[in-house]
Amino acid sequence: MTAISLRSVVKQFGDVTAVDHLDLDLAEGELIAFLGPSGCGKTTTLRMIAGFEMPTAGQIWLGEEDVTWLSAEKRNCGMVFQNYALFPHLTVYRNIAFGLEMRRVPRNEIARRVRSVLEKVQLHGLEERYPRQLSGGQQQRTALARALVINPNVLLLDEPLANLDAKLREEMRFYIRTLQQEFGITTIYVTHDQSEALVLADRVAVMMGGMLQQIGTPEDLYRRPETAKVADFVGLVNLIPVRMKERCGAAIACESTLGPLEGRGPDGPGAEAEGWLSVRPENLHLSGTDGAAASGTDGTVNQMRGVVRERAYLGSLIDYRVEVGPALTLRIQGGAEAPYHAGDAVAVGFASADAWFVPSEEG
Amino acid sequence: MHRSIGSRVGRVAYGTLIVLLYAFLLLPIAIVVIASFNSGNYLRFPPQGFSLRWFRHFGETASFTRSFFFSLRLAAVVTVIATGIGTAAALYVTRTAKRYREFLRVLMIAPLPVPAIITGVALLIFFYAIHVGTHGAFGLVVGHTLICLPYVFLIVSTVLANFDRTLEEAARNLGAGPWTTFRRVTLPIIKGGVISGAVFAFITSYDEFSISLLLGGVGTTPLPIQLFDYLRFSFDPTAAVAGVISIVMAMLAVLVTERLVGLESLYYGRRS
Ligand SMILES: Nc1ncnc2c1ncn2[C@@H]1O[C@H](COP(=O)(O)OP(=O)(O)OP(=O)(O)O)[C@@H](O)[C@H]1O
Ligand SMILES: [Mg+2]
Repeated sequence: MTAISLRSVVKQFGDVTAVDHLDLDLAEGELIAFLGPSGCGKTTTLRMIAGFEMPTAGQIWLGEEDVTWLSAEKRNCGMVFQNYALFPHLTVYRNIAFGLEMRRVPRNEIARRVRSVLEKVQLHGLEERYPRQLSGGQQQRTALARALVINPNVLLLDEPLANLDAKLREEMRFYIRTLQQEFGITTIYVTHDQSEALVLADRVAVMMGGMLQQIGTPEDLYRRPETAKVADFVGLVNLIPVRMKERCGAAIACESTLGPLEGRGPDGPGAEAEGWLSVRPENLHLSGTDGAAASGTDGTVNQMRGVVRERAYLGSLIDYRVEVGPALTLRIQGGAEAPYHAGDAVAVGFASADAWFVPSEEG
Repeated sequence: MHRSIGSRVGRVAYGTLIVLLYAFLLLPIAIVVIASFNSGNYLRFPPQGFSLRWFRHFGETASFTRSFFFSLRLAAVVTVIATGIGTAAALYVTRTAKRYREFLRVLMIAPLPVPAIITGVALLIFFYAIHVGTHGAFGLVVGHTLICLPYVFLIVSTVLANFDRTLEEAARNLGAGPWTTFRRVTLPIIKGGVISGAVFAFITSYDEFSISLLLGGVGTTPLPIQLFDYLRFSFDPTAAVAGVISIVMAMLAVLVTERLVGLESLYYGRRS
């Protein structure tokens, strides 16, 4: 069943279009991450679902109900704000109980439910503290508990980890995911951190300039981006300008300034289509110029020569910048076992299965 | 060595300055208090002996006690009205007003820069013109409210300017309607400002002179006016007694604010 449905939703602030004809359906129990650069309309979309902003056009459905014009307090959405928005004058206990008090839940049941959710977010013993007496992580979990305790139909998280340090952020990711699955609650998770989105989400919706660019599983997004912008935003990518020569099913053959290249491509673009082959840095293989055969084992059909311009040691990996043609430098991440140095001539290869055709915008 | 002497001289000079400053501020108060215990017949310093006779005289003079209680009641009524209107106005101007915000702000605090006597004259002319408020305490209540409003408005506005409105959204999100949100979230958080504003309003009304002079009438004479009338004919220490009562009232007000607003921060939990 569809838990949240956005139908052609538009939001304008004066002459700024913050959200532009957004269509989106969330299945029950699904976690979708909204990913996109700053100002692309993620928060605005979330605030419309919560009922803090009214859409300029379009409809918002929660389950079977059109809530487009329903006021916020009647929507039963749990929301975790970026700054947590904990009530400073109430204790942790009273903060969490607030939503239940509004629902006129009997006192002893409030106590039971608050205790149970405190257990779940591992905050027991801190009931009588005020928000100011909590660490950032504890405040975050209080906000999460306050949203979860009311058994909301949907959970809305606006960059919930943005104010935490890197290590805690890592931990909380998995924690939020576990909790979300345990409660089986439909969730929208706003972030501009692509690794967070890929790790957490069932599906990722990439937004740019108020428009939905692509929606798909993390793997779809990473391996089969639909546009160069998406490829660029989600992880590191090399874009090699090409023109498609022929295609056979998903397999395509292209020509480029580096010679003929083979890859895979989406349905649609046919021969003569302009675009790029996107290849991830970890899928490019380096070898010495003398041993081209060494890399031929794993289906590497695309071969080119280049010169290492820069290298950076990343611990488990080495990050190379290799110049393979005029004005074309590839980013390559390889194991540390065969180190090359700046100035070394190298052969670069990649498998056709690891190259994905992205049509240029006009195409 | 040299430096420590220099710094000690500096410290002594600084200490002396502070002592002088406090002396300057507190001496008149001390003199009034001492003068009120005078046993002589005239308001003068140093006093001639110690007695409570002027306190008794104040208590036994009906015109004084009547004015005193009238002033208290007036201040109480004015405080309630000014606090209500001032808070509501601050809410509107800070949050809802858009184009006319600055204009409305200036309008609200206009009674501050305008001399009270001018405001009083204007009100007097106005009341006579419309035949309202020329009898009884109505005129006084209006006049005092006008003078007290800016204090409440300014203090509550300052608190509201720092108010994080996502707190209200959080409350709405959890199922609270607009009124419940105001009562359960907004009001408790701005309470400190509202109470401070109310205390300011109370003291301002209790001490107000110019407007009371113009708008007071028979049976509605606030204490400062009563005192002024009395001093014109008899220069005895009863005036000092009234002064002492004023001082005690102000101190009580400060203590009450301290208690309530201080309790507030306790209630929020201390910053750790
Ligand atoms: N209340 C408002 N009034 C006017 N413009 C607004 C308002 N709220 C948002 N905008 C504009 O709408 C656009 C989208 O804003 P939004 O806050 O949704 O971005 P975001 O994707 O959440 O960005 P970030 O990652 O920085 O939080 C921005 O251009 C912003 O300036
Ligand atoms: Mg945002």
